[in-house]
Amino acid sequence: MLASSSGPDAASRAALRLLMRRLPGVSVMDGAASVEPFAASDPPALRAASVIEGTELRAVRVPDFSPEAKSGFGAFLDGTQKVQIIAHHGGMPIVIGTVSAAVRIRVDRRLTTWAQEPPRVERKIYLPLRYLPALAELGADGIQARWPIVDTSTADKSGEYPSQHPAVLLERATRAVDQEREQLEDWMAEAWCAKGATPIFMDGGISRSASVASSSLAVGVIKSHRTLYVEGDALGIVLGLRKGERSSVFRVSPRSRSSVMSWYLRLRGVAGRDPLWGLVRVEVAERERLSDRANEISRWIMAETTPLSLPDGRWDKLAYGVRDCEEFLRAIS
Amino acid sequence: MIEALGRVVATERKPNTPHEFHFWTAISSPVGIGTIVRVDGAQPMDGQIPHIYGIVVEGFSYTDLQSPMHDVLGHDGLPTLAGFASTERAEIRLYTAAVLRQIPEEPLQPVPMGQVFLAEEADVHVALRMDSYLKEGANTGIPVGVYRAGGTDAVIYLDADFLLGPEAAHLNITGVSGLATKTSAVEWLLASLFKHFPEEKGSIAAVCFNVKGPDLCYLDQPGKVEQSDEVLYEKLGVEPRPFQKVEYFAPYTAKGLALNTFRNNEELLDNVTPLTWGLREVLQYAEVLLNKDDIDAKADALIDFITENVVDKEFPPDGILTKNHRVQSFAELDAWFRDILQGLEKKNGESWRTHHVATIRKVRNRLSNISTRCAGLVTDSGAVSDLPFGSFGDKTVYVVDVANLEEDAQDLIFARIVSKLREHLERRDLGVKHLVVFVDELNKYAPGDGPETYVRKMLLDIAERGRYLGLVLFSAQQFRSQVHRRVVGNSGTALFGRMDPDELSTPGYAVLSPATRTKLATLEKGQLMIRHPHFTQPIFVRFPRPAVMQGREGSERYPQSNEISLDAAILRALRPLDPTITLPWVQEITALYTEQEVIRARNATLLARPHDVKAYFSSQFRKIIPAQPAQRPMAGSIRSVPENDPYGF
Repeated sequence: MLASSSGPDAASRAALRLLMRRLPGVSVMDGAASVEPFAASDPPALRAASVIEGTELRAVRVPDFSPEAKSGFGAFLDGTQKVQIIAHHGGMPIVIGTVSAAVRIRVDRRLTTWAQEPPRVERKIYLPLRYLPALAELGADGIQARWPIVDTSTADKSGEYPSQHPAVLLERATRAVDQEREQLEDWMAEAWCAKGATPIFMDGGISRSASVASSSLAVGVIKSHRTLYVEGDALGIVLGLRKGERSSVFRVSPRSRSSVMSWYLRLRGVAGRDPLWGLVRVEVAERERLSDRANEISRWIMAETTPLSLPDGRWDKLAYGVRDCEEFLRAIS
Repeated sequence: MIEALGRVVATERKPNTPHEFHFWTAISSPVGIGTIVRVDGAQPMDGQIPHIYGIVVEGFSYTDLQSPMHDVLGHDGLPTLAGFASTERAEIRLYTAAVLRQIPEEPLQPVPMGQVFLAEEADVHVALRMDSYLKEGANTGIPVGVYRAGGTDAVIYLDADFLLGPEAAHLNITGVSGLATKTSAVEWLLASLFKHFPEEKGSIAAVCFNVKGPDLCYLDQPGKVEQSDEVLYEKLGVEPRPFQKVEYFAPYTAKGLALNTFRNNEELLDNVTPLTWGLREVLQYAEVLLNKDDIDAKADALIDFITENVVDKEFPPDGILTKNHRVQSFAELDAWFRDILQGLEKKNGESWRTHHVATIRKVRNRLSNISTRCAGLVTDSGAVSDLPFGSFGDKTVYVVDVANLEEDAQDLIFARIVSKLREHLERRDLGVKHLVVFVDELNKYAPGDGPETYVRKMLLDIAERGRYLGLVLFSAQQFRSQVHRRVVGNSGTALFGRMDPDELSTPGYAVLSPATRTKLATLEKGQLMIRHPHFTQPIFVRFPRPAVMQGREGSERYPQSNEISLDAAILRALRPLDPTITLPWVQEITALYTEQEVIRARNATLLARPHDVKAYFSSQFRKIIPAQPAQRPMAGSIRSVPENDPYGF
């Protein structure tokens, strides 16, 4: 996932003009400030997972890997999101969220867009309608016709409305955009799993969608490690993995998500770096002969470490194909 | 409907202008330097979708790599590992095109965004404004080559009005030596010109000065035409065959026996005519051979006097001259000088008719020297054999071979022939309405620096005023930058073959993009870059190999004859006029005469081209009555004296 920021584009200017006609007193933000994604609400944590390859977690050298190794991935999937505060009204933030997702397939070693499901770009306006009575009275129909509106001031599951604090409303908007992006990614992933023919390298986990989590084509590669699925001695083993080594396979069963099998893989030498350097976690659907499968997919992922994704700061973990998706989406969204 | 091959792009740092735009294409796109493309604008202007035609002048390729170091790191410093990467980096082909034409032409605006298409043949015609002179009923197009790009094969036409006048005229070709591109291009273009020159514009002929090598010596002999060239010939509407009407002219060697040309093989002599001039022809152009040190005002006055009052006139004895003179040759002129100088010496005089004796001696020395310096061309006898001024034939090539001559003789031939051509064209009695004069080695004959020469002045004159007369200069050289600017500047059409990189680095080529210059430095044989008044940018074309025998092949197949005996030379000269002439006959007729007399008889016969060659040739010799053995007269008997009459009574 790429969270990008940029100045006001044509789309945001159009949305602003629309709102200014509907909502007198709108205070326009200079430069349409972009918002960095909020840090996840969950704190960094260690969580135990059941090892399903052997009895205890250990380091496994990925066999038969060489620079000549071929990758089995035929496609890459990623999504992007952009959150821009374009105006305020009475202190209430008015936000435009843009989400996009695309599958890029590899043909003759070059990446191109999957023609069967073209990339999707969606834009919405995120407003706290509860605190913008003027707009609420006018109704959002006129705007909805051209710009879908998401109300960021709805009551939560417990029936409580969010505070009128602008920061709270902005966080709500950002989380809503985040969810939109995940839904778009899931939709794309499901489409690939239904129509695709080769394994797909997905940026992030695969467990949100049941059909994706059970597909043999989906391989999720997670770069962030706010939650480490190891405890005790196993943590040392994972953080001590050397380049070309993986951990034993374990099962990840998040709440309200599908269960998948997972393992850690060190893509690059860690000497002189922090322990998470070049470390990714892989998610695939549960299958038999899991060791062979883990080794094969690990070889594929390692084969994707060239070309480097520089100058992206995440180049130690970011596959070039995923970066290509992001660059593509940046160009069209 | 053809597919778009690119899209116009513009950024603040690289904006489009009315004369230049940028576009990207797929990696596999058949676009290259010199490709002509069409942009279809997205927004109509005055109800018309704008079409912009451009030619690619620069290309860029880059990846998303920010630093070369990233690639090194990515492959652990081992280039061999780079080939194993599962994915190629994203790569762009970005091109810059120079605008050839915008439609509508007003208002002239920066090139808009739009799709880019490979130009088809019809697009090429519009892009190069050829549609203005390829109209039905008013077609003045002369095919010069085929533009090829992608799947497009389009004939490129020059406008005859801008190639031969009167709108513009002259053609100049530049290229490195040794590839035969310059000569081949001119040969091809002449063939095309003869085939396609519009009938209503009148007749056309060409005079080619062969200044080096044998390349122009076999224009009437068929050469090898490969299949790929046949395709080009068909496309260009020209038959792949040698020139049908070619006449060669060459002076004799210094000895005067054989013609001084690469084409003096006996099998090829039927259309080779000797080029010989006498005193009158040379005196008119004495300025060519005499430098400024030779000719001061006094000497000039004496030469004028000789030209006006002496040559071809009866010059009676005066106080100094002892006898009547009629000067028609260098030998007779020398006798005239000798008579004057002897007369002055006898009378101890210092001047004759206001001409000082020193001036007379100087002029005698310089003029007498001409026949030595231009031996083979200038005859002592005064015999003249010349180009057929006044009866030039339509679509005929006249080749004057001066390749083996001394520089002085080359200059004299060039100056006199061009002057005569000009005179006849001014009088409209040359025989043809348009005449192309081809001169190679302009670096030598019209250099940008160096002393002012008669030949350079003549070339400048043709370049600046020739088009009004129908006299068109096709010139060639290796280094355009070193040719006089007014000669190349007046050439409406310029062709460029493969160029020397040093030459390309001179300021004259700064208008070309680096990529275009690189392409020029690596052009294949048979490719040219063309600049023409209708084309706003240079265009690259291919032309077919000329269907004439190349110089090297011709000189191997028809080797040049070495110096031969007098009898053989006479036989070789006369046999084309009368095939029944044999060597024994020549030997019998010439046995009693001197070499000079025999050569004079040969020259007279060749000039007259009589019906009865044998009789005419024989009649040129003075009568020699064979010596009769003296008969002893019968001695009368001595009458005996009677013994008885001792006194004889």
